Amino acid sequence: MSKASFTSRWTPVHHYVLAIVLGVILTLAVSVAVGASNPDDFWLAAGIGALCAAYPAMSLGAKVFVSNHTAARDAHGEQSVELQWMRQAGAGAFLDVLVVIVVASLVLAIGRFDMDALPVLLGLVALSATDAGLRYVAIRHRALK
Amino acid sequence: MKNNLAERRAERRWTQADLAAALGVSRQTVISIEREKFDPSLPLAFQIARTFDCRIEDIFIAD
Repeated sequence: MSKASFTSRWTPVHHYVLAIVLGVILTLAVSVAVGASNPDDFWLAAGIGALCAAYPAMSLGAKVFVSNHTAARDAHGEQSVELQWMRQAGAGAFLDVLVVIVVASLVLAIGRFDMDALPVLLGLVALSATDAGLRYVAIRHRALK
Repeated sequence: MKNNLAERRAERRWTQADLAAALGVSRQTVISIEREKFDPSLPLAFQIARTFDCRIEDIFIAD
């Protein structure tokens, strides 16, 4: 009988430092790119870009330099319950987004509103990601309570 | 689907993490199966049966 194969809860300090360094570098790169695309408001655009990029950049740093030392990969992860939760959350979020698109299209068609496509598409991306995330948390909570 | 996985695991004094590691799945998967909120796939059911040296129907009972 093999015991649980979690490697460790912690990893050497320099791994955390490397994760932060990678996160900062990526955040700065995105920030400068966004700022350069809006030279009239460079610092404002760069600040917004940094705010948007900081969390995913730090997460990537943690995944690359920390997670590999603190969590073991499940040998048969595809048979784990998390995959079912993810599928349920994704299917539910897809239907939610579909309903929103249909209702919004009806409102726009009847009201003859004129809108830019970019904010609408970004809103749909945000809605689908948030919806799927919240559904996953709710399904997980129900299953484990 | 009902099952006696928790009792069989307790008989062997294994933790949920031990069983999860032996099966190669997450601990949440073991918890969900024991609480009968998740029906394992057929390959996982066979693997559970092999782990406890018994047949699938000795562990899982259809409702």
